[in-house]
Amino acid sequence: MNKTRIMIVDDEPIVGKRLKRLLEKDGYEVEIFTKGSVALEECDRKHFDIVITDLKMGGVDGMKVLETVRGKNPDTKVIIITGFRKMESSNEAFIKGAFDYLVKPFKIEDLKRIIKKAESELKNSSGQ
Amino acid sequence: MNLKIWHKMIIGISIPSLFTLIGGILTYSYISDVKIRHGYVQIADDLKEQVLEIRRNEKNFLLHKDVEYYRYFQDAISGLNKSVNAISPPTVVEIGKDLSLLRGSVPAYLGFADDLFEYYQQEINVVEKVREEGRKLEAFVATGKYSKDLTTSFILNLRRFEKNYVLYRDNVSYNELESALSQINNITPFCFDCVEYKEAIHDLFSTYKKMDEKVNDLQSTGNKLEETTYKIATSERQKVNSFFTRTQQHLVLALILLCILGPFFVNKTASYIVAPIKRLAEITKKISEGDLTLRAPLKEHDETHTLALSFNTMLDQLQLTHESLGQSLELLHAKQIEVEKRASLGFLVSGITHELNNPLNNISLTAETMREDMGEITPEELKEYIQDILTQSERAKNIIADLLEFVGTQKTTVMEKMDIVNVIEEAIRLVANELKVAGINLKTDLPNSPFFVYGNHGKLEEVFVNIIINAIHAIKNEGTLTINARHDTVTNHIFIHISDTGHGIPEEHIKNIFEPFFTTKEAGEGTGLGLSVSQSIVREHKGEIDVESEVGNGTTFTIKLPLSGIR
Repeated sequence: MNKTRIMIVDDEPIVGKRLKRLLEKDGYEVEIFTKGSVALEECDRKHFDIVITDLKMGGVDGMKVLETVRGKNPDTKVIIITGFRKMESSNEAFIKGAFDYLVKPFKIEDLKRIIKKAESELKNSSGQ
Repeated sequence: MNLKIWHKMIIGISIPSLFTLIGGILTYSYISDVKIRHGYVQIADDLKEQVLEIRRNEKNFLLHKDVEYYRYFQDAISGLNKSVNAISPPTVVEIGKDLSLLRGSVPAYLGFADDLFEYYQQEINVVEKVREEGRKLEAFVATGKYSKDLTTSFILNLRRFEKNYVLYRDNVSYNELESALSQINNITPFCFDCVEYKEAIHDLFSTYKKMDEKVNDLQSTGNKLEETTYKIATSERQKVNSFFTRTQQHLVLALILLCILGPFFVNKTASYIVAPIKRLAEITKKISEGDLTLRAPLKEHDETHTLALSFNTMLDQLQLTHESLGQSLELLHAKQIEVEKRASLGFLVSGITHELNNPLNNISLTAETMREDMGEITPEELKEYIQDILTQSERAKNIIADLLEFVGTQKTTVMEKMDIVNVIEEAIRLVANELKVAGINLKTDLPNSPFFVYGNHGKLEEVFVNIIINAIHAIKNEGTLTINARHDTVTNHIFIHISDTGHGIPEEHIKNIFEPFFTTKEAGEGTGLGLSVSQSIVREHKGEIDVESEVGNGTTFTIKLPLSGIR
């Protein structure tokens, strides 16, 4: 079985670095980006099962990443991580097809749980 | 004079009309006079013609001496007499003494003519008598009764002289006849038969003498008639001419007066009518320029008085409305500020949350990594992790500090009168080093004299520093920063323009740049509070801050501040 491929987009470099180390330890294949535009270019070349993106970024922001990824591949699960409280932009994100919404600062267990949930949904849909 | 415009216009039109009327009447009377005078000239000419006709008849009469020519002569004279008497007494008075003289001379002239005609009648008899006596004397002499010297040839010679005299009536023939007659006495002193002849001759002499006198009288009176009528005609002509000349002079004088006084009078009348309207118009213009406290003067007494009254009433209303509108606006403004404050508080809380959550998340993720990988972490990694935690803590601390400063601007600040040019210059000095390091070329165009605003030195300086720092970041590499200040004398504001040649701001961001926590800078490089704080400060100084930008060409910030009344 192939490893689950995860893309992380956050303009805070520390976020990507730490999450890559923590998630690779659990056997995921992780690629990190600090610019939305670069990340979307990579999406054209490779398939990612899960995309974890920050919302507020200069240039192409998280909402744009969400829209573009969902537009290209509706199977890809997009998880939003942001410093904004849930109510403000979560509604818009869910309407645009976000899988889940996690407010910073979060516990790594919470993120891992959401990833697992996304994985099982991916399996279900491919198994059918 | 307290006259209405209507009255002024009536006067303005009436006076020139009156002058024209007077001029017209005068001209009419002149023309009438001239017409009458022309009538006199005609009369005088007629008289002259008649007199000339009379003189012609006089000559014929003197030549032919018969009844027929005498009748023509008489008719001509009585024609003149009729004409002269037909002239009306006022005309006689007008023409003057010459006509009276003429009137008096005509009967005298007629009298001389009558006398002369009588003499002519007598002359025939007298000449006949002379001839009869002559024939008798001839007969006597032929008898030879007298001296032998009184010969027939002598008598015949005498009779020749007699005939010559009757024919020529000149001095030569007179002298011949006279001497021949006196010779008779020498030859025969007592010639009784000669007496009758002699008497007849003497009778002839005296008759001719009287006749000559009458002819003289007649001709001199005729000359006088001619002269008089000529004089009348000439003087009447002269009178008409002088009338024309006078009328001409008066007309020229009137035209000159019209040319000189006309424009002056029209101008005076017009300005007299228009002046109050002009004064009102000047005041309304001043009022329209914004001074609602001015009022139209009520010193006019014409229609503009009512106009000024209505205008002032209207202004009172306008001023009242304006004031109450101002009060409402202030109230509304205060309410709006309150609403904005509340809204910005919510936004602020959201902004703070986001800004603080990022460093906190970084710290927590780093700590979790350390906990998960406790055994596998190399000392280098450990050092990096600890440094990250410290950096992110510092970041959170800075955010709090900025926030405290931002909150600080909301408090009341101490305001005083100070020179804004000086503030700009100090702000430039503060950032001079950064400009130098970044290799930015600075161009300034600031007034030499101070411009005073009522404000807080430190806060305004912060505004300029914030904007200049933003410009430095926007330019990145080499570029130019331009700072200038202009005084708008109309509104008494100072406009400070700060322009950079940097990357510019995209259109979609322009509306957000003054919002707290809005930033396009990399995470951790700016809090997004600088422009927000700057805007708050400028507004606190009753000013405005504006931005114009074009991507790739640069950005210009304009700060408009009201100047304090006294410079």
